[in-house]
Amino acid sequence: MRYSTFNQTNVNPLGEPMFFGNPVNVARYDQQRHSIFEKLIEKQLSFFWRPEEVDVSRDRVDFQAMTDSEKHIFISNLKYQTLLDSVQGRSPNIAFLPIVSLPELETWIETWSFSETIHSRSYTHILRNLFSDPGKIFDDIVINEHICKRATDISKYYDDLILHTQLWQIHGEGEVTVDGVTYDATVRNLKKKLYLTMNSVNALEAVRFYVSFACTFAFAEREMMEGNSKIIRLIARDENLHLTSTQHVINLWQYGDDDPEMKEIAAECRDEALAIFTSAVEQEKEWASYLFENGSMIGLNKEILCQYVEYIANMRMQAIGFEPQYKQNSNPLPWMNKYLVSDNVQVAPQESEISSYLVGQIDSEVSAGDFGDFDL
Amino acid sequence: MSQRFKLQINQLPVVEIDAGSSLTLLEHLEQSGIEARYHCRSGFCGACRSVLHAGNVEYINEPLAYIRPGEILPCVCRVKSDLSLEH
Ligand code: FES
Ligand SMILES: [Fe+2]
Ligand SMILES: [Fe+2]
Repeated sequence: MRYSTFNQTNVNPLGEPMFFGNPVNVARYDQQRHSIFEKLIEKQLSFFWRPEEVDVSRDRVDFQAMTDSEKHIFISNLKYQTLLDSVQGRSPNIAFLPIVSLPELETWIETWSFSETIHSRSYTHILRNLFSDPGKIFDDIVINEHICKRATDISKYYDDLILHTQLWQIHGEGEVTVDGVTYDATVRNLKKKLYLTMNSVNALEAVRFYVSFACTFAFAEREMMEGNSKIIRLIARDENLHLTSTQHVINLWQYGDDDPEMKEIAAECRDEALAIFTSAVEQEKEWASYLFENGSMIGLNKEILCQYVEYIANMRMQAIGFEPQYKQNSNPLPWMNKYLVSDNVQVAPQESEISSYLVGQIDSEVSAGDFGDFDL
Repeated sequence: MSQRFKLQINQLPVVEIDAGSSLTLLEHLEQSGIEARYHCRSGFCGACRSVLHAGNVEYINEPLAYIRPGEILPCVCRVKSDLSLEH
């Protein structure tokens, strides 16, 4: 089915499923099938922040005082987060927008992706401050084997859904052979790929950042890298909201509150979805081993970090209807919580290193000259 | 004497709270001494999710995190009756 940027069929938005109904035509929010997504949009907009508002200049001294193993931990985590947000800044748009059918969800996807691009820009902001030439750090992201291994796992579900959607758009429903390979481009199969992709994104938002967050906040506990920590707190707040959105989508499907076929698929793919989650957990534990391969840092070691991943994973598996898979039911890093409380993260304007604060950006002084030759 | 509500949290001994308490249920969980789970403390992350076995709560902020049947978000609600819950 060909995609149209303005589908002219008259559709009832209240009767459409989240995905694989009619393409969205009018971006209207007066009647919503799943109004939660507009609430998430409002929340995300209320969280808006800019990396430049956070002063990271004092971090440079802290960074120079770090041991080599701490530098490895810090920089590796930034590289990994850069990868995650590079993927997330584009993929929800590319994979989900062509198949979404509700205006409120379409706009949520765009808002979500946009917030990921802010995260990406913040890594450049952090790295520019630490290195006169951050180029080598970025270059390493696509050649570092520990990062690449994760990259494939993160992007493969997206890529597969995108490819099948493209084949379906061009060739229509059914099997299609391209360069000797036959693909199943039926809507049923596409929906299955969508379900798995959503579970993979959900696992990404749920656990993939937390090893890195824990290291950042462990530095902050020692009053080190506080500018960086402030940025990561803002990112963590956003990620928690993104996670809520994927949990909503998955639960709406599972409970049959959206597309009945997705309910069947959710039941059919339950084991596969669980495997996606547990493999993300295993990869994060491997990442913790890599981080600490040259030595640990004060307040953290590999074991405790792995326990934290399991603790977080248990909570997040239950949120989408899985039994908790790990024995870690208490929080091994209780100090993490205070960095994740949303009220604790406000960017104070006086801390900003630049003069244009967000709220000060609107110039209320209008002179006659601004109207040029505007005549009434 | 002011009215009291009884909170039965997990399998622990019952704790009593003031019926007019302005604290959130999450704050009462913390006061009861259990290890409370939370992140955002404002209803959007779902980290505080608990299962309500019996009783009523009232939301003071609209919860944005998905609430599965039987669940509540203690960080954005107040206690309105005796409660029994699993956190
Ligand atoms: S702590 Fe985030 S929803 Fe309650
Ligand atoms: Fe992000
Ligand atoms: Fe995200």
